[in-house]
Amino acid sequence: MTLNQKRIIIAALAFLFLLSLIFVQWLEVTRRQAEAGLRPPPIAVPASSVACVDCHSETNPGIVAHWRGSEHARTGVGCVECHRAEQADADAFSHYGVTIATVVTPRDCAHCHGDVAAEFEKSHHAQGGNILASLDNFLAETVEGARLNFDPHSPTPGKTVTTVNGFASAFSGCQQCHGSKVALVATDGGMITVDDLEPDAAGQPTNQDAVARIAKDGNGKPRYHPGTWPNTGIGRLNLDGSRGSCSACHSRHDFSPRRARQPENCGKCHLGPDHPQKEIYEESKHGVAYRDLREQMNLDADSWVLGEDYSAAPTCATCHMSGHTRNGGKITHDPGERISWTNRPPVSLVMDTDLAGKVVKVADPEERRKLVVDSAEQKRTRMKDVCSHCHTPDYVNAFYQQYDDLVILYNEKFAKPGQAIVAALRQNQLLTPTEFDEEIEWTWFYLWHHEGRRARHGASMMAPDYTHWHGMFEVAERFYMELIPQAREVISEARAHGRGAAAARAEQVIEAILARPEHAWFEEGATEQMKKIRAAMEERYGQGGGP
Amino acid sequence: MARIGARSIGDWFSERLPISGEALRELTNEPVPYHLKRWWFALGGTPAYLFVVQIATGILLAVYYQPTPDAAYESVRYITEEASYGWFLRGLHKWGATFMIAAVILHQMRVYFTGAYRKPREINWMVGMCLLLSTLMLGFTGYCLVFEQLSYWGAAVGANIAGSVPLVGDFIRDLMLGGEGYNPRTLPRFYVLHAAVLPALLTLLIAIHIAIIRIQGVTELHFEDEPEDKPKYFNFFPDHLLSELAIGLVLMILLTTLATILPPTMGPKADPLTTPEIIKPEWFFYVVFRWLKLFSGTVAVVSSGFIVFIMFIWPFIDDWIRRKTRFTEASVWIGIFGALTIIALTVWEAVVAH
Repeated sequence: MTLNQKRIIIAALAFLFLLSLIFVQWLEVTRRQAEAGLRPPPIAVPASSVACVDCHSETNPGIVAHWRGSEHARTGVGCVECHRAEQADADAFSHYGVTIATVVTPRDCAHCHGDVAAEFEKSHHAQGGNILASLDNFLAETVEGARLNFDPHSPTPGKTVTTVNGFASAFSGCQQCHGSKVALVATDGGMITVDDLEPDAAGQPTNQDAVARIAKDGNGKPRYHPGTWPNTGIGRLNLDGSRGSCSACHSRHDFSPRRARQPENCGKCHLGPDHPQKEIYEESKHGVAYRDLREQMNLDADSWVLGEDYSAAPTCATCHMSGHTRNGGKITHDPGERISWTNRPPVSLVMDTDLAGKVVKVADPEERRKLVVDSAEQKRTRMKDVCSHCHTPDYVNAFYQQYDDLVILYNEKFAKPGQAIVAALRQNQLLTPTEFDEEIEWTWFYLWHHEGRRARHGASMMAPDYTHWHGMFEVAERFYMELIPQAREVISEARAHGRGAAAARAEQVIEAILARPEHAWFEEGATEQMKKIRAAMEERYGQGGGP
Repeated sequence: MARIGARSIGDWFSERLPISGEALRELTNEPVPYHLKRWWFALGGTPAYLFVVQIATGILLAVYYQPTPDAAYESVRYITEEASYGWFLRGLHKWGATFMIAAVILHQMRVYFTGAYRKPREINWMVGMCLLLSTLMLGFTGYCLVFEQLSYWGAAVGANIAGSVPLVGDFIRDLMLGGEGYNPRTLPRFYVLHAAVLPALLTLLIAIHIAIIRIQGVTELHFEDEPEDKPKYFNFFPDHLLSELAIGLVLMILLTTLATILPPTMGPKADPLTTPEIIKPEWFFYVVFRWLKLFSGTVAVVSSGFIVFIMFIWPFIDDWIRRKTRFTEASVWIGIFGALTIIALTVWEAVVAH
């Protein structure tokens, strides 16, 4: 063999070697970058879902792309693993030979995430659907909408409108956060819900009459009632009897932990005039730090333990759900576990909860002791464990003192009195039994449901403007300038219509309240205090603030 | 005035160090065979050049590196993410290692196919084999020092492999780990091997390798298309040195580019309680790793050792084949088969997850 021939062999082998080296290095670098989170990890589509991915890559490329970016994809959990259904499930249908259901419920997620599903099930979040029998729902279904479909009263140019859905506000509003009662369309056009199906412990319907009434298309596929689905409300009432929707927080189909860790995720629902937690958080030092230091929050990390994986700022998840160094990194899916006041009702309640997780309302201390299984103090201690990562015990305790004081001030000065005044009017039949048909009912609703909550939530999460100007200031204005005058007007009207005794009883309640020292300024004036203030202003600004 | 000053300083040194420029030139100016004008024959100096790069970057990395299980990962993270130019130095060191091993393999391939290992150069071939194994060991111990998951589990797998060597396996494993399993004394061992023992050994072997070359001279190769009247030799200095420097500069550009575009990343920290889904060694062990997966424990280890032994004594086997059989070019075909097998096993290991 000549030297030139050997030269060619060396060149060819060296070229092949270098080529393979480049290829191997490329694979290696890709793998390392994926491991370091610099690029999406390579995924292998599980055999069970190859056909789904192939087809849906064409029809819904977004779904497949989201899934490809998920931890599920990385760990071999495909489409079928979550969407699979039993033949007997109410919403099951055969899709290219595989029995699946469209809606994935917490019962489905529990196949792999059993502990998480159990925690969630006992949380207040899972009870979000209870709003379907509440004042809020009355507002959406009756006051804003109508509990019926009615005919349009004039044409809508460009669109044929044959009927007006009276439930539209409830469907698109309340239920998108609180959760719908998922329904299948019945053969008669009506709805079939969990109430009709009466599912057993395995989630399968026991009422076969209801099952027989489920309308199905030519392929045997049932149709969800469009008012009730799409819906990712946190307390969704599912056909299998489970409550909630995991994708309320873990958006499908990437189920990103990163997103669940960010306040924007909670902000889909925890915002607005009645519970602006997201805005309150943004105003607080916590939110300001988060905005500034977001890049240091390690949001992509597999483990996200406060004090270990990040400390830059807290998000909603940090304080209410995530693990931290003091609890061994244990995450909870019951955000109520660390909350010591419930500020949802007109009058805030101490979060002593019973075996079922319900707030114990009885006053008798002995009775309370028997019922309470998880006290507000225990819950507060859990929250303090989070706080103490960044604050000293003195700081945390003093904060809680400020928070308690604000809640109690609101309760005692405005909430309990307001509640007593409206109750007195109602008990004396000076108001109709129907809510929201009289001005004072709206006034009272604004006072506790909107402004009162803003004040309390503002204090709970350190947002001074929400506590004061959007909160207590408006509560006070609503109380003194609207609730009291309107109550007096109702009484005066009653008196004018010959119902003097009832009017007097109601009036007695109001006057007794206003005679209390904290309201004395309103009836008796605060002349001396005003004099001092004007004098101080005169000294400071050269004018006394008067006309 | 300046000339007088320079001469005086020169004289001052000459009186104390009697080394003349002439003698120095004589010493370094060994005649180099003409075929080394072809730059791809000059790759023997490349691993040595990269070794210098590794020593320089390694010393700088050692300034921050802490070889204890508690601090190692954090110190590498500090180098990668916080220390000034730390990421760059680590990148140069990492890619330098890859280049060095690749260069050793290419050099060995060239030596093999041109038969440059034949009499009287058998001993230098074996020194070269020691250099290859030392370089691979440097790569292995360096990979272990990062103390990320794959470093830890790579070391654990490596120790298991060593442990399955018949008779002396347990002893080698214990020596390697400082105990039966990975323990707090293991990492300092790897560090001492990586930063002191193996570099010293490599330096010694390189010196022997070059000394033997100087004694025997470089194998002379004559290409058929070369003119008869071409000079037989050229000067080492500056001609060949400039070729080596040019190759070195190109390598530096490549290293800098790779270290900048593809800087080293941090995998998850070593966790003895969690076995990673995928355990991979560094690429240069893919071939062995795949081999181990193809055959069971001891068979794989013994057969690997046998192949290395054959490579070691190949000059004598080749000599025997050439003398006793008519297959005088057998080494070329065996070499092609061997190279293709190594490439195939490496690529195979790279593309599969398990």
